[in-house]
Amino acid sequence: MATPTQWCFPLLKVNSLRYRLNRNSARVRVCALALLLPWASGCLDQSSTRVDDQGARVSSYDWGLPDSIPLPRVPEDNPMTEEKFQLGRHLFYDARLSANGTISCSSCHQQDKAFTDGKVHALGASGQPHPRNSQALVNVAWNNILTWGNPSLGTIEKQIMVPLYGDDPIEHGLNEANHEQVLRSLQAEPVYPPLFAEAFPDQDDPLYSDQAWDNIVKALASFVRGLVSFDSDYDRGELSASALRGEKLFNSERLECFHCHAGYNFTDATVDRLTSVNQLQFHNTGLYNIDGLGAYPEPNTGRHEVTGNPAHMGQFRAQNLRNVALTAPYNHDGSVATLEEVIRNYAAGGRVLTSPPNAGDGRMNPYKDGFITSFEISDQEIQDVIAFLESLTDRNFITNPRFSNPWTQDSEQD
Amino acid sequence: MNRLYLLLALVVSANCHAHYIPTDDGLVVNASLAATWSSSSVVDEYDYWQIPGTLMGGHAWPREEGVQIDELTLGLGYRFQERAFAVVELGSHAADEDHENEIELQHAYLGYVCCDTTGPWVIEIGQMTAAFSPGLAEHSADRMVSDAPLINDVFFGRDFHDKGIRLWWHETAGFSAGAELWRGDAFPATASGDNAWDLFGRYQWQTGGLSGSFGGWIYRSSASSRADHRYGGSHQHTPVAPPGTTASVFPDVRFTGDTDVYGVHGELGYRMAPDWRLGVKTEVMWAEIDGLVHDASSRQASVQGDQWGGWVQPYMGWQEHTFGVRGDWLSTDNQLVGAAAPVLAVDSGLANEKGHDPERVTVFWHWQWHPSLALRTEVIQDNTLPDEDLRWLFGVVWKDQLSPGSGSSGGHPH
Repeated sequence: MATPTQWCFPLLKVNSLRYRLNRNSARVRVCALALLLPWASGCLDQSSTRVDDQGARVSSYDWGLPDSIPLPRVPEDNPMTEEKFQLGRHLFYDARLSANGTISCSSCHQQDKAFTDGKVHALGASGQPHPRNSQALVNVAWNNILTWGNPSLGTIEKQIMVPLYGDDPIEHGLNEANHEQVLRSLQAEPVYPPLFAEAFPDQDDPLYSDQAWDNIVKALASFVRGLVSFDSDYDRGELSASALRGEKLFNSERLECFHCHAGYNFTDATVDRLTSVNQLQFHNTGLYNIDGLGAYPEPNTGRHEVTGNPAHMGQFRAQNLRNVALTAPYNHDGSVATLEEVIRNYAAGGRVLTSPPNAGDGRMNPYKDGFITSFEISDQEIQDVIAFLESLTDRNFITNPRFSNPWTQDSEQD
Repeated sequence: MNRLYLLLALVVSANCHAHYIPTDDGLVVNASLAATWSSSSVVDEYDYWQIPGTLMGGHAWPREEGVQIDELTLGLGYRFQERAFAVVELGSHAADEDHENEIELQHAYLGYVCCDTTGPWVIEIGQMTAAFSPGLAEHSADRMVSDAPLINDVFFGRDFHDKGIRLWWHETAGFSAGAELWRGDAFPATASGDNAWDLFGRYQWQTGGLSGSFGGWIYRSSASSRADHRYGGSHQHTPVAPPGTTASVFPDVRFTGDTDVYGVHGELGYRMAPDWRLGVKTEVMWAEIDGLVHDASSRQASVQGDQWGGWVQPYMGWQEHTFGVRGDWLSTDNQLVGAAAPVLAVDSGLANEKGHDPERVTVFWHWQWHPSLALRTEVIQDNTLPDEDLRWLFGVVWKDQLSPGSGSSGGHPH
């Protein structure tokens, strides 16, 4: 703590001025200058900056985050609790939560693949393929939009209704006709009543009341929201020489990757407690141009599917790149097999398909994002960028018992 | 103590030379060059000069080790009619290694003098230096010391050139008073904000060997998404530093809101004998900041700041030599509120965890070796940053009237 005299007008401190040529030379005292300024006897108020974050770093739930990561936003009607997280974990891995008992959330979202499935297209409970590639569930809590191209799905709770009840395509296959039967199968499982009771202590009968499905959705959302990954080599600053070169390329003016894959989650579709405006960003990366006018193949036209706006053709959300090395194949339809192929598409300024059914020059797509311009890149540089992307892999995340299947014997049973 | 500074400012006054009205000598051409060698830099390479507790910007570049061109100007004044005149000045100011000294149009204005019975009144319009603060209008070649006052750097980004219109009552019985309306290009305003304006008044007198002047002013401005254009405000990338050197991207935090600054200034001079003179100059400013700081991630926090500071320069002259000391100080009191306040406080530069009080003391010897050539030596104890620095400066100042020839009174300084 400074003494009062240390805060006095600087000329009083001239007596102790130290002359340092080139910072290291001899020290000489300069005296008597204060005598020139008899009025310089007072003291200034000490400068200060007060900061009030209005409780933005306060949460009763232990997110296990590094200090540098802000807390995510959580819906007021579904605050995070450990009990809901654990209930959601059981539901996430429970195939009874589908029309015919064949599909659970984990069917398409597998922990060892950063909660994606490694397939081009997943199959739903009825065997119908999904037109989109399964998304990784990594730090979903920070996503401002939850799907590849739907700007209206802003919360995990809303999004979960799509795979559960959606009919085009059918995923879990729930509907008006079967959802009571599915609920009864869950009620019959002896593990659930205490889990529901702990997760929703304010309700008398959370598994049997009219709120049961609402509770299921909230619990699932809590588990998905709690899938947190910030423990990669990158986070620990343990990058190889190649990965360091790749990081510089990633952030370079030449490649421009970082514009869309920005911030701590490497996506511009990020929102947290510190952000005040929810900016929805979608990008056309020149993957298709099947009619020469910019069209993407149906039904995967991205944001355009929802808005109908021609300018939104082929626009999709920039993906979170954490654990991206585990989530092949890539792009919204899984049509790109490897990270190298992804980079080469960007280097070309778009993808050229010469054979049907989707032949076209994506480089000429009129709706292409302005950052998708061609660039020169060597084979070694591609490997460096891949090394950087691989450094974003969080091994603890894909092996953490906390996120694993609770119905197996070797899982963590809290 | 604050009242003491205020009193001091009211009893002494300053003069200025950067703005002038050409007399009827036809075309007048002035030129100046100030170059300085410094024993050290204010900040290391790949670091940014950000004084804790402040929002900096404009042209407030830090002093760098070695030789630096502080200023280079070429000015033309022409009285093309009995009452009308034009002034054009090209100039450059010191920048840093990555921002070379750029020649810019600092003055390009037309003026008209009228109303001798009640004035004269002068109206000027165009690109001009502000007249409200004599210290702010001074160039390096006009000062005894090479560096601009700390308050000029912090509150006005070192210098002030803007497009505007000025109407003033000009030196009538020692009084001058006027108003200026600005487009808002000059820090701390932005052109996208409301117009900036100021009011000023001053009085100067001479009695025997005693001369003096004092004045006061009010400046009000607004800014919309104002960047620190020294390092940010455009496309941002991590600087490429050599191995082993840490370099980080400059946080591009913007300010939207109002900045009102009030100031008093003065100078008191006494000629004791033909070869001896004493004097003191000062200026004190108060700044009120009220607005938001925000960034590209849609994070924002409200900010309110009360900052004040000043400089005092007592000096003693003997023949062509002037010895003196200038003390600069700054006191800041800021409050940020909002979820992102802690992050934005750091990124904007407003954070001041240790309560640092920026101070700087300059001891100088100025030798007017030739009417147009001066040499100056300075020792600066610089506590503007928490890491103190002491450096030596040696400079040369050349200032001359090229046409109609040295010694002619081609302009009328204010």
